[in-house]
Parts: sequence; structure tokens; C-alpha cells
Amino acid sequence: MVQRARGTAVIWRMWRGDPSINAYVDGWVAPRLKARYGITLTAVEGQGAEIVNQLIVEREAGAGGSADLVWINGETFGNLRKEQLLDGPWAGALPNDRYVDGGSAIIGRDFEQDPAGFESPWGKVQFALIYDSARTPHPPTSVAELGDWILAHPGRFTHDQQFTGMAFLKVLLYALGGGIDRFRGGFDSVAYAEGSSRVFAWLEKHRDSFWRHGATYPAGVADLHRLFANREVDFSMSANQNEVVTKVRQGIVPTTSRPLLLVDGTIANAHYLGIPMNAPNTAGAMVVADFLLSPEAQLEKQRPDVWADGTVLALHRLPAEWAARFSALARDPHALPADSLAKYARPEVSPRYHERLQADWRTRIRQQSL
Amino acid sequence: MAAFLVSLPVLAGLGYSLVASLGLAGPGAAGFQTARVVRVLGERAIWAGLAWSLWVAGAATLLATIGAVVVAVRFRSRNRGDRIARLLAIIPLPIPHLVAAVVGLQLLGQSGFLSRLGAAVGLFHGPPEMPALVYDPGGVGLILTLAWKEFPFLALVAFSVLATRGEALEEVARSLGASPRAVLQRVTWPLLWRGLLPSVVAVFVFVAGTYEATAVLAPSNPLALPLLTLERYTDAALARRGDAFVLVLVGMTVSLLAVMAHEWTRSRWERLQT
Repeated sequence: MVQRARGTAVIWRMWRGDPSINAYVDGWVAPRLKARYGITLTAVEGQGAEIVNQLIVEREAGAGGSADLVWINGETFGNLRKEQLLDGPWAGALPNDRYVDGGSAIIGRDFEQDPAGFESPWGKVQFALIYDSARTPHPPTSVAELGDWILAHPGRFTHDQQFTGMAFLKVLLYALGGGIDRFRGGFDSVAYAEGSSRVFAWLEKHRDSFWRHGATYPAGVADLHRLFANREVDFSMSANQNEVVTKVRQGIVPTTSRPLLLVDGTIANAHYLGIPMNAPNTAGAMVVADFLLSPEAQLEKQRPDVWADGTVLALHRLPAEWAARFSALARDPHALPADSLAKYARPEVSPRYHERLQADWRTRIRQQSL
Repeated sequence: MAAFLVSLPVLAGLGYSLVASLGLAGPGAAGFQTARVVRVLGERAIWAGLAWSLWVAGAATLLATIGAVVVAVRFRSRNRGDRIARLLAIIPLPIPHLVAAVVGLQLLGQSGFLSRLGAAVGLFHGPPEMPALVYDPGGVGLILTLAWKEFPFLALVAFSVLATRGEALEEVARSLGASPRAVLQRVTWPLLWRGLLPSVVAVFVFVAGTYEATAVLAPSNPLALPLLTLERYTDAALARRGDAFVLVLVGMTVSLLAVMAHEWTRSRWERLQT
């Protein structure tokens, strides 16, 4: 496989919205792939829905594939599987797959879907709020306290409309809807109806104290970070609890920013790599995926000054020296301790909750502002 | 023939959108159905978004046109001062819309430059006190930014209309004893608006459908048509992605209506000329 892939080019469609991630991929991963395997890696922009749409259109047109590797998870994975656009199973055949912590609820199931070898895990993150310890020395620690805080500080909180904002709504769903167990095991429309009505009631109750009276919401998390950095709001959020670390180092948010977990639990999920059915260079893609799964690449990725993305490898399966290196990773003062993360981590549930919550939020909350 | 060739990509896109709206192609295709078209056209959000986009397009185009006319009439002579003024007017032309929008955001945002200036002179004491000019339901920031971006284009057209067609007729009017004001009213202005009309219609349609500036400055409710279209196309639920094609057809209909309105106006004044 490695021989077949030597000298080839691999095109990887991934989200290119974070400079830290781009620097890791272009500046660390790509040169090493070139040097060791002769593979030329090119990363191009492509997010979940766009990837799905493009593959559908390519199949319609009978055109050749334009991507060998795609960065996916959750409902994107679900949509691709439903449309049979992913190649596989292949992930279990990778040499580095033996180190993967497949038993973890976060990694072993992608939004409750079984990867079944059609996607290979790459990293894991946990949702966290971001606050500025200089402005908010005593931040709220639960959803209830957050609600009170919002009422006491009108106009200083909001959430975005894309993935991170929807993750926040899901956090509310678990917290107000009776805990994660209520929503496990597939989509339950009764649980959804009850849980979502509580979420929307909470939002309605606090909405007038949101930024701009809840009449408008930032389009994406980057806009929310900007509002936070410019002191228009006092909280931001991230799907990656360690994004604070990298953003502080880049000077994008104030140095006094810290991540915040809510005791009601925050969502942890893993992200994966897939290979489209029409990929021109499957062998190359698998070599790349295997390299990304290697302890060396995972360690580099987890470094606070690189990306601070959690590893999907099980430390107890690694050779001792690697396990030691992971444990010894520099503890950045801005990062959260691993045991708090684990204690409050909640896995994702069926992607249908996400779909419904997003659609209903748009009609019931966003559209009702005028 | 040339016109047909040029419009071929547009026609292909239209054809595909039609086929996809009916469920026969594209993401979320599930076989022939008219239900999707009916459902989408029945959604309040669509019409609110369309109305909002048309409002922004109308206001921005009007401001840009007024600016273009005023500048063209005032700075039309060949002397150095006027030529410099004309050059300054078209400077924003090569600036990409996205850049102009980001600049607009930095200037007019509640934590932007104007706000900080206001805070420095004691007018505001924090971002919430500054009036909301971006992400606002009235679209003020977006209108100003787009008007600023479209003004040089219309000004350029206005300059060339006056330079090529204006002189001779105005000479005749003046030699017949018309006052400067009468010349302006009876000769210059009619020439100018007829010469500008195709460009004004083009600007209007462009602004109604533009995505980049709108994505940076528009509010989330009502959601402008171009933003709504992309939002549907990338919806988490695969089945709703086909809605985007219906919205594309709605947008296209607006463009066609605008062009038809222009043709009707033109046919009316051309009849007067013969």
C-alpha cells in the first residue's frame, strides 16, 4: 500500500477556517509525508454539507472524484453513509488503528453511529464556554447560574448560528431535558418534543437579555470570538475546549480568557477522516490517514502551541515512552485539567436531534424577533 | 447568436435549478414532486428575506445613483480639478465587495472605529450605547457599504454618458437662449437618466443577490435571500437542501422582472422619440 502510494498526490478536503490547524497540516504533516512517503498533500477548503453536496453532484454528473480524503463527523458522516458515498470498510486495516481508544463512548460512536471502518478517528474535542477572567472573575458554572448571569448582565451574551451555537443548544437540551440518558438510543420524538420545548422556553425567557435583545445572532463562531474580543459580549464558546489556548497565543482573544465547563455536562465528540467512493487515490489517502493516527502526529497535534486537539489514542495501548510523552505534555495555564473534562463529558446523540433543533430554532426563535 | 452563447451558462443553471426544485436532481433529490416548491413558496421567511433584499438593493442603488448623478454633473468639465474629482470618485471600483464589507464592519460596528471615536469624545460609554448600524433590521450599514461600492460604477457610466452625448445637445439648447437651469432640467437630466438606466437596473439586481457583503453585515432576521439560499443548501437535513434551488428560481424571477421593467420603460421613451 505504501509502495503504491509513493510519488502520488493526495487531496484532502477539510475545514480551513482555523490558522492553527492549517499550520499543523501544511507546515508539519505535509513536509513529513513528502519526505517519508513521497506523498504530496494538498488541503482544500470543504466543510460537511459542501462535501456531501459535491459528492452527490459528482456522482450525478458521472465525474471523477476531486478529493481523496475528507474531514467529517456526525450528520455529515450519516448523510454520506445514507447516500453510500464513502469507501470502506478500511479504517481497521490501518497499522496505527491498534492504538485507537475504540472503547471510548466518544470515539467508538460518532453521534451514536457506528463508524464500522468507514471513517478513521482523528481527534476529539469537548464543548466549552470561554470567558474573560478579568471581566468575569466569578463565572456561572451551571446552566441555571448562566441564566441568572444573563438576566443580571443584559446584552452581554449570545451564541452563533452554526455548529458551535447548535452544540450550545444541545447542551441546554441535555441539561433542561432531564440529562443525556433521556436522549440516548436513537431519536425519540417524545423526548425531543419535551426537551426542545424546555430549551425554547429557556431561550424565550432570557432572550431579551441576550446581545441585541436576541433579535440577531452572529453567523458563525468566528464572529462570536470577535464580539468577545471586542468586549461586545462577555462569553464566547468553542467546540474545542482548548481553542482558548491557541487563540490566546495568536493574540486573538485577551490573555485573561479561560475555558469554562458547565456542571450539567458539555458535549464531547470526535472527528474523523473518510475516503469518498470516487476518490482517485485511495491508497494515498489511507497512508495519510494512518500517518495522522500515528503517536508522533497525534502528540504534535495535541501540543498547546500547535492545535491542542485531543488524541484518539488510548494511552494504555501505547508503548511506554509514548504514553509518558502524552502525559508530560506541557500543561498550559489556559487549558482545562483532563479529569474535569472527562467528568463532564457527554457524548453526542443521534444526528436527528441536531437537525431538528437547528430547524426548530430557526423557525421558533430566530424568526420571531420582529 | 452571441447573446445566446453568453447566456448559455445561465440557462444551464436555470434548467438545472428547475429540475432540482422538482426533486429530480441535486442533493436531497427524492423523485419528482411539486410539494417542495409549494412548501418553500409558502414559507414566510422566504418572502420576508426577499422583501428585505429588495429594500437593501433599492436603497443602496438609489443612494449610489444620486451620488453618481450629482458628481457627474458637478465635475464634468475638462479642467484639472474636475478630472481629479472624477478620478477620486472611481477609486472604490477595484475594491472587492468583501473587503468593503469588512471595512464597513470595522468602521460602523458597535465596537468599531466610529464607536471608539465616539467614546473618546464622551458620546458613548460602551458598545451597547452606540446605535446598531450593522446586523440591524434596517440594514443601514449594509446599504451604506453597498452604495459606496456601487457609486463609482454608476459614476463612471454617468461621466461617459455626459461626455459623449451631452455636449452637442446642450450647446444647441444654450444657443437657443435656455437658462443653465433649464438646460439641466430639459436636456442634461433626461439624457443622463436614460443613459444610466441599464446600469442602474444591473446594480439593483446585483445588490439584491450579492452574498459576500450581505454575509458580513446583514442581520439574521429577516434573513436576506442569498444567505437563506446558502443556508438551505448546507442544511443539516439532506432533504431540505433542494429548497435552495427553488430560492434560486425566485431570485432569477426578480432579475427577469427588473429587466422587463427596464425594457418597458425604454420602449415608452423610444416611442416618443420617433
